[in-house]
Amino acid sequence: MIVADLKPVGEIAESISPFQKVSIVACGGCVSVCLTGGASSADTLARELSHPRHYKERPPILATTTIQRQCEKDFVTAYLNLPRDTDAILSMACGAGVQTLAEIFGKVPILPALNTSFLGSLDEPGVWREKCQGCGSCVLAFTGGICPVTRCAKHLLNGPCGGSSNGKCEISKDVDCAWQLIIDRLKALGRLDDYEKIFPIKDWSSDRGGGPRSMQFSSKKT
Amino acid sequence: MSYFVVNENCNGCLACVENCPANALRFKDTDENRTILHNMAKCVRCANCWRVCPQQAIEFQHFLENEWDEVKSLDLVHCRVCGEPIYTTDLEKTLTGKTGSEIDALCPKHRELDFAARQALVPFRRAA
Repeated sequence: MIVADLKPVGEIAESISPFQKVSIVACGGCVSVCLTGGASSADTLARELSHPRHYKERPPILATTTIQRQCEKDFVTAYLNLPRDTDAILSMACGAGVQTLAEIFGKVPILPALNTSFLGSLDEPGVWREKCQGCGSCVLAFTGGICPVTRCAKHLLNGPCGGSSNGKCEISKDVDCAWQLIIDRLKALGRLDDYEKIFPIKDWSSDRGGGPRSMQFSSKKT
Repeated sequence: MSYFVVNENCNGCLACVENCPANALRFKDTDENRTILHNMAKCVRCANCWRVCPQQAIEFQHFLENEWDEVKSLDLVHCRVCGEPIYTTDLEKTLTGKTGSEIDALCPKHRELDFAARQALVPFRRAA
């Protein structure tokens, strides 16, 4: 899922301080599941942001609402109802949701309440870890289901660098060497032959280096 | 049918209500009763309630596997040759209205037969 983190309250308060009536829009998608941008978080944030200590002048009047998926333009257009005199929207969605609102509400400033962090998984209650960078050409079939693009600091595709020591990455003793994990996993699967395969130079044009990416559904693919 | 199923282990501690990120759970205390309420429209099925419940009272499997709700029942048109159901009478009306022409009730297989061959076939009686 997309994992996001709440911005510091002071930063959010500063961004909404020029406005009189602010609608806080929570999202019922990924950010609800990662406990940062759902309806409950919106209520908690609204309570905090309504405190005068965050402002030089009067706090804005705040309203909260939730839309199930803030990143779907037609859905949001049809079902998101805001107070008519809203003069700014504080979005609690990921960056995709914020930009969807910006496209729909041409004359209303859209302010992000969250820092969108990564594509990750819930490894244990309350702990999300990055697992995918959305590079556009997945290699997990050959790496034991462990992504070297995301989990190797150098994005290496053909084994570990010289900085791997006792299963840890040289950048931190708390970071596992992705290639150590991959080799251990391939060994357990009896597929060490996969480790001998040489990956050709990766085509990074499907990554962000090729500009903003898009995808169009086609039933012909299946 | 219920998706949010709570078993007899529940002791009303409200951990689920307090930890629901979607405000999909509430409780109501009356004189002698505490009632836990769930709103499926607000629920994002994150399973946080199941995760935090100290009593293991939430049977989340009902969110994952459940019965089908019948949401609409419509009359069907059948292929006039083999009787295979092909589309609804309402869709037929919609298409007839848009195209301005009658639609021959034929399944894809029999639609491929040439006109002469189709004429030779005995028409299938339309199902009631």
